[in-house]
Amino acid sequence: MENAQKIQHLYARAGFGLSPTEWNRRREQSLNEALQDLFSKPNDVRELPVPALVISETTANNNGVQQKERQLVAAIGIDWLNRMAAPLEDALLERMCLFWHGHFACDIRIGLPAGQYLNTLRRHALGNFRDLVTAIAREPAMIRYLNNQQNRKERPNENFARELMELFTIGRGHYSEQDVKEAARAFTGWSSDRTGQFIFRRLLHDFDSKIFMGRTGYFDGDDVIHILLEQKQTARFICQKIYRYFVNEQPDEQRVEAMTEVFFADYDIARLMRFVLESDWFYEDRHIGSKIKSPVELTAGILRQLGVRHCNPAALIGIHRAMGQVLFHPPNVAGWPGGKSWIDNSTLMMRLQLGAAFCMASDFDLALKTELDEQDRRFVRRLEAETDFAPLADLCRQVPEKEYFDVLSSFLLLPDVSRHRSTVEAYVPAGAPQERIRQLTARLMSLPEYQMC
Amino acid sequence: MHRRNFIKSSVLASTACMVPAFLSHTQPGRNLWGSRSGKVLVVIQLSGGNDGLNTVIPYEDAAYYQLRPTLGIAKNEVLKISELIGLHPALAPLEKLYREGGVSIVNNVGYPNPDRSHFRSMDIWHTASDSSAYWNTGWLGRYLDHECAGKPAYHALEVDDGLSLALKGEHRSGFAMSSAQRIQRAARQGFLQAIDQAPSTEDHKVAYLYKTLRETRQSAEYLYQQSKVHKSSVAYPDSKFATDLRQIAELMTADTDTRIYYVSLGGFDTHAGQLNRQARLLKEYAEGVAAFAEDLQRNRLWEDTLVMTFSEFGRRARQNAGGGTDHGTANNVFLMGGQLRQTGLYNPGPDLSRLQDDDLMFDIDFRRIYATVLDRWLEADAAQILQGRFELLGCV
Repeated sequence: MENAQKIQHLYARAGFGLSPTEWNRRREQSLNEALQDLFSKPNDVRELPVPALVISETTANNNGVQQKERQLVAAIGIDWLNRMAAPLEDALLERMCLFWHGHFACDIRIGLPAGQYLNTLRRHALGNFRDLVTAIAREPAMIRYLNNQQNRKERPNENFARELMELFTIGRGHYSEQDVKEAARAFTGWSSDRTGQFIFRRLLHDFDSKIFMGRTGYFDGDDVIHILLEQKQTARFICQKIYRYFVNEQPDEQRVEAMTEVFFADYDIARLMRFVLESDWFYEDRHIGSKIKSPVELTAGILRQLGVRHCNPAALIGIHRAMGQVLFHPPNVAGWPGGKSWIDNSTLMMRLQLGAAFCMASDFDLALKTELDEQDRRFVRRLEAETDFAPLADLCRQVPEKEYFDVLSSFLLLPDVSRHRSTVEAYVPAGAPQERIRQLTARLMSLPEYQMC
Repeated sequence: MHRRNFIKSSVLASTACMVPAFLSHTQPGRNLWGSRSGKVLVVIQLSGGNDGLNTVIPYEDAAYYQLRPTLGIAKNEVLKISELIGLHPALAPLEKLYREGGVSIVNNVGYPNPDRSHFRSMDIWHTASDSSAYWNTGWLGRYLDHECAGKPAYHALEVDDGLSLALKGEHRSGFAMSSAQRIQRAARQGFLQAIDQAPSTEDHKVAYLYKTLRETRQSAEYLYQQSKVHKSSVAYPDSKFATDLRQIAELMTADTDTRIYYVSLGGFDTHAGQLNRQARLLKEYAEGVAAFAEDLQRNRLWEDTLVMTFSEFGRRARQNAGGGTDHGTANNVFLMGGQLRQTGLYNPGPDLSRLQDDDLMFDIDFRRIYATVLDRWLEADAAQILQGRFELLGCV
């Protein structure tokens, strides 16, 4: 495989693709240089601003207040999406945050805890997994989502303890029901106060001795996490998930074992990611373009490739909802299942038209486009997208028009789409170069191959 | 399998099932006796949590009026169907159907450790999981997986822009469309047709998308043709829900090769101002379903139809301070059709002396109803699809 394609694969999986300007620079880089850049800013997590709390105990049932909080959550999601799309941001950090958001899946409807939760993910996304888990266990959003505020000495609530084991650390089949009960006792009293901060409610905590995974002691929540991380299965469980997310949906036991060895040593996430992304096997042909982009990846990629400077946040959220992934609203605590489950007839049609809609949004003569019906036109108008085709035009500057297809398709898509050349070109009307570039881009983004990364 | 082979076989499969449909298009008289191609299941989802206690009302129970001082429906207003139980007056359009033996009401349906979140509880109803488990496939999706290999994509059809989890399987899913005309317009775009017909690739990674694209195009075209075969002569009320049901009736009358239809009516989350809101929604529901049943009866399809109505949960037995009710637990499920074995009230209504934190207790696990529908109506392996054995009910 060509070096440039490896770099493209790297940035598609460990980031959200490349902008035309980035592509122009990076395709000349060595893979090592590209990797260096990717890992160059792991300590700069640039926290997102956390909104003040609007809701209170007395206004919790007020529809207007709930609505206001939901808008705050949506605004954080859009902020985050814009960071995923922006070439100046830390691509790997944003990608890891999205991965951890799916892993520590949490539905959040209030702005302040949503912001705090996301900043916790940002602080530890490439740090130590132990710190990440202990921080998440203290996260008010998670405490509320999994009912740990109801977890009390006299009446333990097992919800958080169970998911901690089943989904966050060791995985189903590696603990007993008794372990769940004992772990729940260890987390009694871990709660949040009315200002949305973590609080340890001493009076509700069970200080008695517990027997957890064959060990006996006066364990609290941190001890439980510590014992779970002593099990190699926890490292393996996380590595399986990382492999399926970053490399291939089909697990490969041998690779996962190699990853597990690295991760189990100290649970350093950045070190694990370096190991994966620097391995030769990460660049094997069978992995390239084998994953279906998630709706958020798809839109972040479009925004980045088209240099979208502005678009209507409400429209974006509507699109994400229609395609089945809204940030801060995973379907349940198991996160988004991903893969083929993203695709059905309605989501596919939406996906195939999304890139073209962004390309068309910069067209002021939409009414003249006869192939669009009124509904499509409304959709495109509602996007209010301001795109910048100049960097794309730059890619094509030194190239004769008949090679635009090659230049643009190798930039926009990982899979080979040369078999579609005649079709795509037939649908691009003759015109000024810049207009041809826009039309070609719209058509290339409408190919099913564009859904893959 | 390589994509080339795959497409070859899928073309054959879909042509085979499309032929009779196109023939029927040219033989309008053929539908006189309705479909004989098999039984049809129609699922109606009431989203938001319909208040079951004000739908099927224990009008002789003093506790009911104590729990519902302002929301309770007065004894002289309910539509009495037994010595103890009456229906909400807005359900009057269904009374005739009820008297004819076309309705079976299953009371106190729920599941252990009920979840009061809309999303979570709806997930549980869609996937048929325990309340502590997280499944990614729906109960009807798994029916498609296990029993419907080789069947067309529209074997299960949801009348909506998006597809519900209930209809998503591991390998196959249902088909979603809000209107046959709209989806056909979208799928008919020349560009999509052209790339679908381009020389095939050996790249199996993207094959699934091409398969879905092809099925979407073919299904959209087929359903559009089917939607033109028959125009209903029954007067449906003017509502989105009724329009959805009319579309289903018209497709059924055209002998469309679809066995499961899925449709939703939303807005039942009545935390405040419940009286008017629920009455309006139940009226919309009852008028739509009554027209639908009449339409199918005229076309002699009612015998082949089973309609199941559910909601993700019922509501708290005790009304709240805002003239509404909060999220609750057990609820009733309506089964309707021309071949019910036991009609009327299947089991007694809720026991209001036996509440848990002001919530109703369930008697019948909702998966028993699913198992009954799967086993008795769709003739499928319910235990495999539900991943567990559930005792069947006698009403289907």
